Amino acid sequence: MDTKLATPGLTAENGPAEKKIPEKYKGMGYHELNAMLNLYDANGMIQFDADRQAARQYFLQHVNNNTVFFHDLEEKLEYLVENQYYEAEVLEQYSMDFIKSLSKLAYSKKFRFPTFLGAFKFYTSYTLKTFDGQRYLERFEDRVLMVALNLARGDEKLATELVEEIISGRFQPATPTFLNAGKKQRGELVSCFLLRIEDNMESIGRSINSALQLSKRGGGVAFALTNLRESGAPIKKIENQSSGVIPVMKLLEDSFSYANQLGARQGAGAVYLHAHHPDIHRFLDTKRENADEKIRIKTLSLGVVIPDITFELAKRNEDMYLFSPYDVENVYGMPFSDVNVTEKYYEMVDDARITKTKINAREFFQTIAEIQFESGYPYVMFEDTVNRANPIDGKIIMSNLCSEILQVSEPSEYELGLEYRTVGKDISCNLGSLNIALTMDSPDFGKTIETSIRGLTAVSDMSDIESVPSIERGNNMSHAIGLGQMNLHGYLARERVLYGSEEGIDFTNVYFYTVTYHAIRASNIIARERGESFAGFERSAYASGEFFDKYTQRAWEPATERVRELFADVHIPTQQDWEELRAAVQEHGMYNQNLQAVPPTGSISYINGSTSSIHPIASKIEIRKEGKLGRVYYPAPYLTNENLEYYQDAYEIGYEKVIDTYAAATQHVDQGLSLTLFFRDTATTRDINKAQIYAWRKGIKTIYYVRLRQLALEGTEVEGCVSCML
Amino acid sequence: MMSEKVELLHHVEAINWNRIPDEKDLEVWDRLTGNFWLPEKVPLSNDVQSWSTLSEEEKQLTMRVFTGLTLLDTIQGTVGAVSLLPDAQTQHEEAVYTNIAFMESVHAKSYSSIFSTLCSTKEIDEVFRWSRENEHLQKKANIVMDYYQGDDPQKKKVASTLLESFLFYSGFYLPMHWSSHAKLTNTADLIRLIIRDEAVHGYYIGYKYQRALEQETEERRQELKDYTFELLFELYENEVAYTHSLYDGVGLSEDVKKFLHYNANKALMNLGYEAMFPSSVTDVSPAILSALSPNADENHDFFSGSGSSYVIGKAVNTEDEDWDF
Repeated sequence: MDTKLATPGLTAENGPAEKKIPEKYKGMGYHELNAMLNLYDANGMIQFDADRQAARQYFLQHVNNNTVFFHDLEEKLEYLVENQYYEAEVLEQYSMDFIKSLSKLAYSKKFRFPTFLGAFKFYTSYTLKTFDGQRYLERFEDRVLMVALNLARGDEKLATELVEEIISGRFQPATPTFLNAGKKQRGELVSCFLLRIEDNMESIGRSINSALQLSKRGGGVAFALTNLRESGAPIKKIENQSSGVIPVMKLLEDSFSYANQLGARQGAGAVYLHAHHPDIHRFLDTKRENADEKIRIKTLSLGVVIPDITFELAKRNEDMYLFSPYDVENVYGMPFSDVNVTEKYYEMVDDARITKTKINAREFFQTIAEIQFESGYPYVMFEDTVNRANPIDGKIIMSNLCSEILQVSEPSEYELGLEYRTVGKDISCNLGSLNIALTMDSPDFGKTIETSIRGLTAVSDMSDIESVPSIERGNNMSHAIGLGQMNLHGYLARERVLYGSEEGIDFTNVYFYTVTYHAIRASNIIARERGESFAGFERSAYASGEFFDKYTQRAWEPATERVRELFADVHIPTQQDWEELRAAVQEHGMYNQNLQAVPPTGSISYINGSTSSIHPIASKIEIRKEGKLGRVYYPAPYLTNENLEYYQDAYEIGYEKVIDTYAAATQHVDQGLSLTLFFRDTATTRDINKAQIYAWRKGIKTIYYVRLRQLALEGTEVEGCVSCML
Repeated sequence: MMSEKVELLHHVEAINWNRIPDEKDLEVWDRLTGNFWLPEKVPLSNDVQSWSTLSEEEKQLTMRVFTGLTLLDTIQGTVGAVSLLPDAQTQHEEAVYTNIAFMESVHAKSYSSIFSTLCSTKEIDEVFRWSRENEHLQKKANIVMDYYQGDDPQKKKVASTLLESFLFYSGFYLPMHWSSHAKLTNTADLIRLIIRDEAVHGYYIGYKYQRALEQETEERRQELKDYTFELLFELYENEVAYTHSLYDGVGLSEDVKKFLHYNANKALMNLGYEAMFPSSVTDVSPAILSALSPNADENHDFFSGSGSSYVIGKAVNTEDEDWDF
């Protein structure tokens, strides 16, 4: 058929409501209008209306003129299926009448992008485009419709509920799902993969292949390097042969940059190493500013796994021993990563069969802080904290690219030809986040969560990563998902509560407590419907009932009057509710091995109009730089020139309040939460170390980036620039 | 010009960083060393795809702009900053100039990193030939070089400040323009690191000039002020011609000129003088102005390159009280 252009303003959506262009903005392009957000007006006011104009002009000047026009939905769907844009199988599960009515429902909600960045990001990175990349085939409503139809797999009720939750902004699937669902040419719906590498060449070779295959398909990939023998370790008993972890990191880095997801985004990877691995210093030095080109790691993210014993040794200002993984595996008959280092530490120190070296524990922490200053890396996972809180049988040895996925794994074994002798268990996780402000406004809080859990579960059910059998097996066994949260700071500011205040922390606690109850309840219902639980349920703390003790043995209630008010319309589960839930879980099980994980939410929080994750804002007007977008400016949600005091940024708020807020959430979340630490450039490595110690003591599971803000030297700043001002 | 002899100091004492007559020296030294970076840290190769979306004309423009910048950085690294050394009032000021000189050489080299990542050797040789032959570029270099080789310490500072705070910016405009259109964003990160340095350099040399003026007679002050505006105007005229020769083809000349006015005013501000251009001709596109901010406050993730935000930190040992748990 003939594809005509849409009539501007008629078929494509309009920007926000302002119809008249104020005189001062006439003739300006949308990029310039958006950039005005970062400049104060003559009266020292932030120019929010310039950004709303930018969003509107973006539609008028660009989107409307570049959207393919169809007469009606039927014609459109027919064209998109015929021309290999949409997957026919997704649509064939429903009657055309139903699809039409659901589309009508989506459009009836009058969705509008609240910011320029939201609209720009959606049309640049998510919406379906013609194959030449020149014209748009979908509006936001169409994308939501396809996501819902795909995830509901023919279930009209679920499809309707998903449209309601997503279009209202309460639930937002993660990028891979929201980007790919329903498209014929697409990557996977899953966000995130975690794999182990064992100490043999077959495992390394398989890992390179997995890195290529998985980054081709979507999301980030993380590898645990802990089990690889160190540099200088023997190969076939001959000493000084192994070259350690660095060359493997180089191979992985190159693999990730080679494969990208149909150009949608670059492949990205992370590697984790245990603090007591002998290559730990070499590993960290790859991120040094003056590192030699041969060993410098530019695009790979690093993470360090730190057990409690390392803190104990640093406390006593002692040396810490590093153990050869090769010897540890020989002595204990299991990979180094699976040995409990805190428990076996002195036994290993005393064992003459294990080759060891030592470094000073405090210097080790200081080195981490130095490298974090220079590069923002490494991430940190507190190994013993994570495993103490893990309700699942097995050991967690690593995290992922955003340090929020924490699941158990099992090693694989390979034949020489790289076939599997034993398929182990590796990890995949699909994510989606709730907008806390809108979820609190939900007409039915519990249903919002249940629908979200069902949507995420559908992604797990539909995922089938054949190219990496250990991932496929892990997913089939666990049906793990990660329900995240975002817009905490936006919500608190809207309700005039300060981030990190007593009330702010109280809210965080009660909110996550309530979410956890409904998430488990939903997983229990799904298990009952399907008559199936995740593999190993019977060995979990859910099955034993032990998990529920902390909820049945004491009452969890708001500690402040303000939070009680905020929950006036949302039921807070009682001890009795938990007793009943425990009984139901023990009888019928749970479908999902893991339920919650709080990701950093970059892109999707812009589309959704949220603050990222449960962080404080980084800036009132955030400067966002991304490969596909260039430099774009984003105003914090609900921010006006009148309520600026509730928008203290992360650097002003300081690490204690951020950690206290995360600690309140962490106690209810079965996996992790991406926690970024923010410092001004007047901070020293000691301040970073203090924050790490504080986080560890507060029961934080992982630390994501360390960010530093350097302000322009007085006299060199750009005049009237919002992001330059404190 | 290579035959010119650099004047060396005749007497040197051991530098004592524990007695600092001018605190600004230490403040700027700390800032500059904390800002240390090398081009290898920026994943420029991520721009290869984006580079291929530029038209031939745009590519040529970009390469020419960068060779122009290379020339300026080379001058500043090997002559400009060094020429200020003999006139330094404190040893710490000397130390800061050596740092400035070194970083200018890093900047000059980083353009080569961009070239070698994005272009072929033949193209690179071609554009360097262009830079030797472009009259406006050569004139600009000659004007500045003349003043560096003169013997008036204050005039050298004026020339240096104008170079750091004004002359660079006709070139900086382009990468900022590309990055606000989502092109060459990693290259823009690198340029932003350079801008971050140049902002401090121009500010510092201007500051030292203002301190020196305090010692001068009223008559001499007037002479220097006249000289400054005269030099700026000479450079400005040439810069306008240079801008037209570069940017006319892509239709950006008018916007670049506004940017020149804006930065000329900034350079004058650094020297302690009032602005020369009225605000009606300095209204730079907000997209460029916002992109220019030397603050390290932009947000990026692992999909987006390294950003221009991290600094080398101050190492301080933890104490027993920190480990009290």
